Amino acid sequence: MNSNLNKKRMLTGNKAAAWGARLAGIEYVPAFPITPQTEIVETLSQWFADGTLQGKFTNMDSEHSMFMAAGAAAATGVRVFTASSSQGILHGLESIYTVAGWRVPFVMVNVSRALATPITLEPDHNDVMATRDCGLIQLHAETCQEVLDFVLMGYKIAEHPLVSIPVLVNLDGFVLSFSREPVMIPDEKAALEFLPPFKPVQPVFRASQPMARASAVFGGGTYTYFRIQQDLAARQAETVFNETAREFAERFGRTYEPVERFHVDDAEVVFVMSNSFATKGKSAVLKLRKQGIKAGLLKLSMFRPFPGEAIANALAGCQKVAVIDQNLAPGMGGIIYPEIVTAMYDKKDRPKKILSVVGGLGGKDIKEDDFLSIVERLNDSESKRPLYLFDEGDWSQFQQLQKIALV
Amino acid sequence: MLRVRSHGRGGQGIKTASQIMGTAAFLSGYQSQDFPLYGAERRGAPIVAFTRVSQKTILERGPISLPDLLLIGDETLLEDPQAAPICGSDEQTVLFINSEKDPQILKGSFNLPSLPVTCGLTKLCLQYLNDGMVRSTALGAAGARLTGRISLEDLLESVEIELDVMGIAGQPLQSNLDLVREVFGALNPVTIKEREESALSPSKLMVLEQKEVQDAAPIITATRNMVQRKTGNWRIHRPEIDYEDCNNCMICYARCPEGVIEMDPEGKPVIDYDHCKGCMICAQECPKHSIKTLWEMDYELEPQ
Repeated sequence: MNSNLNKKRMLTGNKAAAWGARLAGIEYVPAFPITPQTEIVETLSQWFADGTLQGKFTNMDSEHSMFMAAGAAAATGVRVFTASSSQGILHGLESIYTVAGWRVPFVMVNVSRALATPITLEPDHNDVMATRDCGLIQLHAETCQEVLDFVLMGYKIAEHPLVSIPVLVNLDGFVLSFSREPVMIPDEKAALEFLPPFKPVQPVFRASQPMARASAVFGGGTYTYFRIQQDLAARQAETVFNETAREFAERFGRTYEPVERFHVDDAEVVFVMSNSFATKGKSAVLKLRKQGIKAGLLKLSMFRPFPGEAIANALAGCQKVAVIDQNLAPGMGGIIYPEIVTAMYDKKDRPKKILSVVGGLGGKDIKEDDFLSIVERLNDSESKRPLYLFDEGDWSQFQQLQKIALV
Repeated sequence: MLRVRSHGRGGQGIKTASQIMGTAAFLSGYQSQDFPLYGAERRGAPIVAFTRVSQKTILERGPISLPDLLLIGDETLLEDPQAAPICGSDEQTVLFINSEKDPQILKGSFNLPSLPVTCGLTKLCLQYLNDGMVRSTALGAAGARLTGRISLEDLLESVEIELDVMGIAGQPLQSNLDLVREVFGALNPVTIKEREESALSPSKLMVLEQKEVQDAAPIITATRNMVQRKTGNWRIHRPEIDYEDCNNCMICYARCPEGVIEMDPEGKPVIDYDHCKGCMICAQECPKHSIKTLWEMDYELEPQ
């Protein structure tokens, strides 16, 4: 057997997610298929069927029931995993808000896929952004390795007594979900030492021990109390992430921070990105530097809680920043952009210019040349609109299709 | 960085071929990445898959538009304007075509940017696997061999790993490994030059103006425009009606899932070969067995 194989294996992003769940010793998976996520639950169902995993895998009737089942099972004190994407996660949105409010820990994976209409299978981030305010912790993965590691770390964060909130791990459909790259699969024993079996610190549902988790409250004050508690716990998750990442690095040698700085320290222009396209951004940064442009990239690995201070510290002193949103809130622009601006607003050494860029929608590539266009726009434009990455090639492609579509 | 793009059809194992190359390169000590691209298509539809091999960390993702090595697993794709397998390749791209034809003739007929390397993989697949449809191991082996970066040992191990995932073991696995040895021996490594990194130049971005809603929303007013999408070359097998035997019972007409069998004015079923995808449901359903199953390709072999 080749020595490389003992350490790493070629895995898709989806398989890496399934491996993360497997190493976490998950006990219950409510599932519903959707492209490009299906490979995750297919893999898990195989492992439950052949005895690799002990527990219960249930095919649900919809994502709405699926997320409710995930929350309900987590409330009994078992370790739960589930996954969805796009229209599926939207269909489950009501349940996601509900179970996040229950303050029960579990991990879900979202495989990003753009939303209808028009419908597509290809990726962008409007689906995960729709879950932005649900009260989840969100970790966004750039590589297949990060997918596996974030799922494993996700349980540790979700189950931390000061957090007790579901964690969502995001990866891009197709570009990461179906891409294979070498992934280090942690040793089972080491994974178990890092993440021992789930021991809930809060009361859990037990037979013949009645309790309730979802009381109705009126008058607003009590409601506000619970909501503020949710906010405080979510904010606490950044500290817990950092503690977890430290332990993870000690055990497995891979270091994670809420934000990753790539050539940021001396950069005059910084691109803010997340997920798998950050890889393309890093390549563009290196090429721009060869052309004499001091570029850098700030990758958001954690999106909820929003690591505002870490972002502000990383961007302090940098003159120009471009926030590349692979999502679009019509009538507003990129969704992450205002969050970055907010993080910088009260800083003395904030950037002179923060540009909103909207690109990579519905599977559209972000080309390396686009990064140079962004730099040019940062240098000369006063436009109040976002810079949309839409080029002449896209226009001619659209025109060809329109000719076929219209009488 | 070596960028390999593989073309074929759904069902031919093109994704697996890209993965065999990916794993083999990884076993040989390289960084590698592989990625298939397909949507809602099915068997017979054009499929493309990518493999990147590098000594350094790979800072690329998604499709490869400018391949260093282009593998065409099904030569009928050369005529398909939608698959456009040659698209993006230049004179530096090494072309490999699964074909029995003379490379000079292929170059002239399809206006190829360079003289292709050819090998009749389909025949070898028939010989070793008794199946000319699945070309995953043969194409993966051809690609791995041409790169000159992968040893036979690592390639064989890769094939074992990838076929094991699909539950292929025992004699079928041994036949695949023999096929790999044959393909590896039949081809020689080619010189693939590392591409020089080109400087970035700004994209031709456009500012879109607002359009009236009928042009701004995804509305389709044209009817019957599906006929413009010709899917006839998805066929691996070709249904052919034996009109001597056919009693015009209309069952094929009723069962065709694509609606491409029409009844002519004399009441005979007629297959629209521009759109028939070759699913062969008509042949299965014909109560008199009057619909023959033929190979689309030149091989005069009846399918098993």
